[in-house]
Amino acid sequence: MAFIELKNICKQYKGNPKNSVTDFSLDIDEGEFIAFVGPSGCGKSTTLRMIAGFEDITSGELYIDGRKVNEVKPADRSIAMVFQNYALYPHMSVEKNISYGLKNMKVPADQIKEKTDWAIRILGLEEYRKRKPKNLSGGQRQRVALGRAIVKDSKVFLMDEPLSNLDAKLRVSMRNEISQLHKKLKNTTIYVTHDQVEAMTMADRIVLMKDGIVQQVGKPMELYEHPDNIFVAGFIGSPQMNFFHCKVQDGQLVFPDGAKYQLTNEQNHKLAGRSEVVMGIRGEDIKFSDLYIQQHPENIMDALITNIEVMGNENNLYFEIGGQQTVARVDKYEVCQEGDTRQFVFNPDKMHFFDSKTERTIR
Amino acid sequence: MKKKTQTLMGMAFFGPALVLLSVFLFLPMILTLIFSFTDFFALNPSLTHFTGLDNYFEVFADPDFRLAFLNTVKFVLLIVPLQCGGALGLAMLINKVAYCKKYFKVAFFIPVVMSLAVVSNLWIQIYSPEGILNAILGFFHIPAQPFIHSASQALPSIALMSVWQGMGYQMIIFLGALQGINPALYEAAELDHVTPWQKFRDITLPEIKPICIFVLITVTIGAFRMLVQPMIMTGGGPSMSTYTVVYDIYQTGTVNWEIGLASTMAIIFAFFVMILTAIQNKVSADQDEESSKNKKAFWKRFARTAAADQEADYVEQTTEA
Amino acid sequence: MLNKQQKRKQIVLTALMIAVSLLFLFPVIWLIANSFKSDAQITADMNSLSAFLPPALSENFFKNYTDVLFGTKFARYVGNTLLYAFIVIVLGIIVNGLAGYALAKIKFPGREKWMMIIMLLMIVPMETIITIHFLFIAKVGLLNTVVGYVLPGIVNPFNIYLFRQTFISLPDDVWEAAQLDHCSPMRYFFTMVLPMAKSVVATVAVFTFLGVWNDYLWPSLVFTSGDLLTAQIGLNAITANDNTTTGMTLAVITMVTIPVILIYSFFSKQIVEGVMTTGGKEG
Repeated sequence: MAFIELKNICKQYKGNPKNSVTDFSLDIDEGEFIAFVGPSGCGKSTTLRMIAGFEDITSGELYIDGRKVNEVKPADRSIAMVFQNYALYPHMSVEKNISYGLKNMKVPADQIKEKTDWAIRILGLEEYRKRKPKNLSGGQRQRVALGRAIVKDSKVFLMDEPLSNLDAKLRVSMRNEISQLHKKLKNTTIYVTHDQVEAMTMADRIVLMKDGIVQQVGKPMELYEHPDNIFVAGFIGSPQMNFFHCKVQDGQLVFPDGAKYQLTNEQNHKLAGRSEVVMGIRGEDIKFSDLYIQQHPENIMDALITNIEVMGNENNLYFEIGGQQTVARVDKYEVCQEGDTRQFVFNPDKMHFFDSKTERTIR
Repeated sequence: MKKKTQTLMGMAFFGPALVLLSVFLFLPMILTLIFSFTDFFALNPSLTHFTGLDNYFEVFADPDFRLAFLNTVKFVLLIVPLQCGGALGLAMLINKVAYCKKYFKVAFFIPVVMSLAVVSNLWIQIYSPEGILNAILGFFHIPAQPFIHSASQALPSIALMSVWQGMGYQMIIFLGALQGINPALYEAAELDHVTPWQKFRDITLPEIKPICIFVLITVTIGAFRMLVQPMIMTGGGPSMSTYTVVYDIYQTGTVNWEIGLASTMAIIFAFFVMILTAIQNKVSADQDEESSKNKKAFWKRFARTAAADQEADYVEQTTEA
Repeated sequence: MLNKQQKRKQIVLTALMIAVSLLFLFPVIWLIANSFKSDAQITADMNSLSAFLPPALSENFFKNYTDVLFGTKFARYVGNTLLYAFIVIVLGIIVNGLAGYALAKIKFPGREKWMMIIMLLMIVPMETIITIHFLFIAKVGLLNTVVGYVLPGIVNPFNIYLFRQTFISLPDDVWEAAQLDHCSPMRYFFTMVLPMAKSVVATVAVFTFLGVWNDYLWPSLVFTSGDLLTAQIGLNAITANDNTTTGMTLAVITMVTIPVILIYSFFSKQIVEGVMTTGGKEG
């Protein structure tokens, strides 16, 4: 049986006819690191807060460790939470912030000391233990917040966009720290973020949400390689996947400006009976190298490069296909200049096809 | 959070205040209103009758109350122009002066921090027939004045003292308003060759108009509440020349125990104070018309102006002390 | 920068203003100068400029002050007032603070209505209901008791409003974190909310103190016996006593004012800060 079980959970706020979260069902195993990701207002935080107990569950059932907790107070759900704005107690020192919960739980003093020391050590806060939050940097504050969560032996860690207030560099290193911590402590963790990179890099599984509805649940690479619909395909990955509204005629894909692309047998089979599809392809699957071009001579297309973004490790090339702005990710050794015309092919194995009406992936 | 928990928590937090508010604000307000229609006499409550509007007729016919009301109006008419005008004048002078600004602000504010009892007791000495004020007058060959010991001079003497005490407070408020005027307005006026009087009338006054109204009303209400000074200095005399409305409420209610009558007076008094607040609100309502259209907004702002007044009081009282 | 002509104008203006301020302050100057003098000397100095100058230092310099402190109950009255102020401050912060927190953060039914009522209550003149307060306190036999004096003054709509304005901007997530740390709402209020909002607590405390210290009408109604009087009523009682000299009167007036001056000079900055941060955030 799953460790955390969400069964058809809905959230509707008073005076709002629309659900904020609709029919959310998910089983989470013990020790798993789950990321809820989606654009702002997608219901990911609301779901997290329902699991924490700060929001009422309108309908549906929530089980933690086999116990139904819909009506259980937040404090009694055996959860710990890390908040976006740290939510540290401003007038307490680092040490006191971390040990406050243990004190309230009437844990014996020697154990409090031991646990607090352990948390402070593990988070590298030794120098700051007597400091107040206002004298700490953002990263240190977030570490204190983590410390407050880990001392309590909670079964579940809930993290609500914990890194969004940090600058980009710190975010990367804290991301790594949280991952390491999870590997060490193996607590079941639910991590809410709007940043797909965080979700991709940290989570065992990702729950991608939009408008209160779960779009897809799966391992990071599953979402990346096999998105269920256009939204997932577009949300995961950077730069965004390129999408083209195309017609299917005589085994060919016809772009809006009339450019044609010869479909493979396999693709034709998949698209049988359809006249219109949305084709999606990631930037790295648009190939400029001779090797690929030789392999797919039937579908060579020309790109007039309009802009180049030099990223250092790779380059982003901008050009138009079928009258539409397209971005391709190429190796940094793939040198070209604005105004160049280059030949390219699509990697046919990595082309995604979506129903143009339902926006769902055609399988 | 569960709704029930919220309700329980709300009651636990708001409860103590609610109990005290009920006992010491709502109940007294309701009782005052009810008693104002009765002849309730606290020393013999069993004889209480409902008397309708009798009290109101009686109060308005009562020569003591009429005198008290007249005296109160006199206080208001003396204090309001002197205190507001004096405060504005001082503020403009201090705003102009380049040296010792801080000293002037503190100097004129000193009487404000003194309590009514302190000021009253001090000025009993100042106004004493052989006191320092008569000594100063003597220096200028002006004959000694009886001040608070004469029916004709007591009221103006107390009014003057109140102005002296209160002026610094409004001075600070005006000063804040004056410093808030965009200096570019005066620079523009300079180019147009305006006279100082025109500058005052066409720039300063319009710019500080809202503050002026606020000060006028608060000073009026303050003067209307005159009680402690005559109570300590003259006991309402001589010959009731400094007897005020609030003094009459106090005397009738807590000395003579005629709660019914005192309540009627209190209602009349509260009525006037509320009217003043309403006027102030109306004026500020005219300044932003958009929200004055619906009634609820009116009441909300009515309450909010009152709140803002007191808040401003808090700020101003402490700004430059 | 001022040019020469402006400078001359400024000097004249400043001199004029100094003269006006001295004239304005003559009662205070006279008060302080003469509070160190014997009555005979006060009268003797009356018609000369030395009326505004303190006497030469002598062993009798502080005689009026020591006479007041050791010859009257003034010290006791001051002690009383400090005690009453302390009680009203503590209870006021608890009662009004809790209510302000409820109005700011707890979604109990009728919250908006109560907020309106609190705001409307702020405009009710106290003089209207003081008779009834007196009646209540007299009827339950609490005249001449500390409880009778303190009770009506604890709840204060304006302080509720002020607390509410501050608390509304406190972050909700700290309360949520505290919940997960097994902190009860009441505990949270006392150990977290009040320390987090300490500037408004200071504001309320200072103004409650000034209110109690300067109050005249209510203590004059409640206290009739000599031992429980507040400083202001005591001041009146002392000055009304025939044995009190003019010099002693002036000394006692000066002493009653000293705490207020101290409060103003020490707390003004903090209070203004507190009010500024809470004000103008009306939601």
